Amino acid sequence: MTTPTQSSSSGGGAPGLRYPSNKKTIYDRNLNRSKNAELSRAAFAYLFVEMISYAQKNVRNLVDLEKRLNEQGHPLGLRLLDLLLSRTSNPLSSIRPTRILPLLQFIAQTLWRHLFGRPADALERSESDAGQYMLYDNEPLVNQYISLPREMSQLNCAAFVAGIVEGVCDGAGFATESVTAHSVGEQQAEGGGTGGGGGMWPGKTVFLIQFKPEVLEREEILGRGGG
Amino acid sequence: MSYTFTILSPTDNPLFTHEFGTSRSGGDGVARFTTSERALNPFIIHSALDIVEEVQWGPSTSSGSAPMYLKHIDKYQHNYISCWITGANVRFLLLTRPRDEALGLGGGGGSRGSLAGGRGALGGNVYNPTAPATEEAVKNFFVDVYEAWLKTVMNPFFSVANGDVVKSPVFRQRVAAAAKKYL
Repeated sequence: MTTPTQSSSSGGGAPGLRYPSNKKTIYDRNLNRSKNAELSRAAFAYLFVEMISYAQKNVRNLVDLEKRLNEQGHPLGLRLLDLLLSRTSNPLSSIRPTRILPLLQFIAQTLWRHLFGRPADALERSESDAGQYMLYDNEPLVNQYISLPREMSQLNCAAFVAGIVEGVCDGAGFATESVTAHSVGEQQAEGGGTGGGGGMWPGKTVFLIQFKPEVLEREEILGRGGG
Repeated sequence: MSYTFTILSPTDNPLFTHEFGTSRSGGDGVARFTTSERALNPFIIHSALDIVEEVQWGPSTSSGSAPMYLKHIDKYQHNYISCWITGANVRFLLLTRPRDEALGLGGGGGSRGSLAGGRGALGGNVYNPTAPATEEAVKNFFVDVYEAWLKTVMNPFFSVANGDVVKSPVFRQRVAAAAKKYL
């Protein structure tokens, strides 16, 4: 465990510290400066391809690769959680989600809008498992320029986005077993393609969010009335 | 009044500590803790974490969100703890130790310095942590620190998940400036 040192480094004259040439540190920048800024799709695609090939180095199997992509997204989620919370409301009345549903709505609406410029397409609760939620994206932006070779058809690079979602959940105090990304279209095509989703949206992706049992337990206690 | 401000990671590691005194009512901004008080402060702050965990999820009647500012949450002897909790469960804890006069302990009720640090001392000399003026001042302080914290967290070289200690002298300056402005 590390302990922060007290008062020794006050003042700007610390020898190791170097300021940028314009004398502006990150603390002098406005947090909302990039609020409406957008990145070109091509730039993102280039960067994302590099991230995938970086994750692919010395990787053993597809599960491992998805895990690495997931880990790349995780810290992003932790950061975006606080950034977006501070932007959504008047900072003087800052609020944070304390129940599962508001948290998921925050992800599906605010987070998705921030990342992709539109809300997520659907949010469902699993019928068989109370701790499992499904977030649908019909056309994930991250997969737009990705075509998978046949032997890797199980891979879904939206694992990166799943990592972001996991970071948001973990950060907010809703520990997750896992958040994983799966292609929906494929399964439905294999199963006869009865569902409309598969045909209309070949890239449709579901994010499976599995909360830990203690989160559900807490949710129940809170919902019951403080018992 | 003397203050100790601490930022605690979600895993209860201290990430940042700053000690200061009031700058109001002619205060010089220097903390006046005795050696033993100074040694005790971390224990008081850490013991308040239990209370934070009790109140952070809000009342069951709430609509599913709770404010980040938890206000005054704990008291140990004459030390008052206020808390702000960020979206990512990082806790800002502020320990306030009013001057003895403000507690009505120092004797000489009408003495000259008794109003010092009395921003919360409404209706008498006794320090009241839930007075609206005190709550507002502490809140403004926390809001400023939160903004600086956000900027720290957004730094890609700052590892959020591992609970990095905040070493930036600029961050300390920001906290000191907020303290001087509001407390």
